[in-house]
Amino acid sequence: MAQHNQTRAQGSERDIFLEAPPQPSRGSGYYVRLICLLVVLWWAFEGANFRPAELVQGIPQIAVTLGRMLPPDFSKVMDSASYYFPENISAPKLLLPLPLSAERSVAKKRWWNNTFPQTIVGATLETIQMALAGTFLALFVAFPLGFLAARNTTPHPLLYHAIRLVMNFIRTIPDLALGLLFVAAVGLGAFAGTLALFIHTSTVLGKLLSESVENIDEGVVEAIRATGAGYSQVITFAVLPQVLPDLISFTLYRLETNIRAASVLGLIGAGGIGYLMNTSFRTFQYQEAAAIVLVLIGLVMAVDYTSYRLRRLIVLSPGES
Amino acid sequence: MNILEVRDLHKSFGPVTPVLRGINLKVNQGEFLGIIGLSGSGKSTLLRCINRLIEPTSGEILVPRALFDAGDNTALADVRHLKRHDLRLFRRKVGMIFQQFNVVKRFTVIENVLSGTLGYQSSLKSCLKLFTSEEKHQALSNLKRVGLLAHAYKRTSDLSGGEEQRVAIARTLMQRPTIILADEPVSNLDPKLSRVILDILKAVCREDGITAVVSLHTMELTKEYADRIVGLSRGQLIFDGPASDLNQGIVDEIYREDSD
Repeated sequence: MAQHNQTRAQGSERDIFLEAPPQPSRGSGYYVRLICLLVVLWWAFEGANFRPAELVQGIPQIAVTLGRMLPPDFSKVMDSASYYFPENISAPKLLLPLPLSAERSVAKKRWWNNTFPQTIVGATLETIQMALAGTFLALFVAFPLGFLAARNTTPHPLLYHAIRLVMNFIRTIPDLALGLLFVAAVGLGAFAGTLALFIHTSTVLGKLLSESVENIDEGVVEAIRATGAGYSQVITFAVLPQVLPDLISFTLYRLETNIRAASVLGLIGAGGIGYLMNTSFRTFQYQEAAAIVLVLIGLVMAVDYTSYRLRRLIVLSPGES
Repeated sequence: MNILEVRDLHKSFGPVTPVLRGINLKVNQGEFLGIIGLSGSGKSTLLRCINRLIEPTSGEILVPRALFDAGDNTALADVRHLKRHDLRLFRRKVGMIFQQFNVVKRFTVIENVLSGTLGYQSSLKSCLKLFTSEEKHQALSNLKRVGLLAHAYKRTSDLSGGEEQRVAIARTLMQRPTIILADEPVSNLDPKLSRVILDILKAVCREDGITAVVSLHTMELTKEYADRIVGLSRGQLIFDGPASDLNQGIVDEIYREDSD
């Protein structure tokens, strides 16, 4: 009997392939698509002038350029002469909001607005300020947009499609183009760059938030609706707590991205460290450029770390009230 | 006296076979009514039609207007035709318990319980999460009733499944409900915990005079807890009576797979 069962088991193991439905074949469409993909990739590499041999030949030149950057020249960062501190104003009075005579306060203001942002440290701080201000403003716009542009929380399907359309359109405009637009409108400087970051980030954050809203657990929404809650209460008590971790992550991630973006916006005169970096490279002051790049790397790493700690602090803490 | 009457209720989602096909059901005040049926028999849809989380296709859902409106005491109201404001008033008197508990895991236990008062709050005040000390007092005493007072300030995600369902019961009690609809409240719990939850649910309903309509997936638990049982099969009621009237033929009919 036992032996009989064993043979049957072995038999059924062999026959299981016959018993199972035939494995669906991939069909000719699969190979056509695969070939299309390969052709497109070949086309892309061709268009990008991809020449590995030239890269290998160019490696020594990379080393030479990097060598010219060494050692980084921090003299402009460290030397107090390069900051053109206004005379007659002591350091504490310059740095802290202390009362000053009218004449001196004008000088102080001029230094803060015009002189300091031209220095490496000043431009770096300006880069952070642009990213912070732009991201913060964007959060306010993206927050309602995210709910209006999510299929499950939008008040009306028409509004949903309209907002999606506008957001997708604006998001395709590169921040450099937005920067040029705002430089033309409000003049050179950090304000133009901040506006560019603000507009672009609003649409990106709005899109990310709406996708997060669409992925929530609808059961909680159902439960809160069943208590007799209205629209805004359902958003606050069922949707928001579920998307809050995502919202914080997205915002901090965009803040980091915006610091990089803000440093590029300097190229078109929209404020930030990019202008100084570009000038140093264009005038072959590689050692100074290296110093700027290092300051920027330090800055981005500091922001990465801070946002990581911030995220852990907020996301892992218990309920808010 | 009937606290709820469902007349000829139909529901279909699109052109496929209707989920509910002419349900007629009277619910007596204060009873613990058990609904039994296979998955897909329409239990969840029926319960959600009652508080209009799902809009019925046709039929009537009659409740005394006094259930949610302090004014006119004698008239009946058809839930299907309630306007937005009245629907809110109605919903806050009808608690609901879910199979998946549907509590906010990131909130503390007491925050989840307090969200049961939302039907009584203005939008602005509740969006800022401003609750009065009476409401907090009420929340704590409801947590005590379900045996979770010690966990009041814990994060809900730190609780077990059975405890989450007790949070959901406390949340529903905050509504000061007249009726509780429970959609498979113990399907995700083991048999022992199932009894703990059903004991609590039945006790609070009896103490507060709440009418309960509870769908359950096992005949055993239904017979044990329900005052009256209705059997649902393919969108139609095929049994309505006390547990003692259930015979093997009806049980087989309820559990029969599709074979028209």
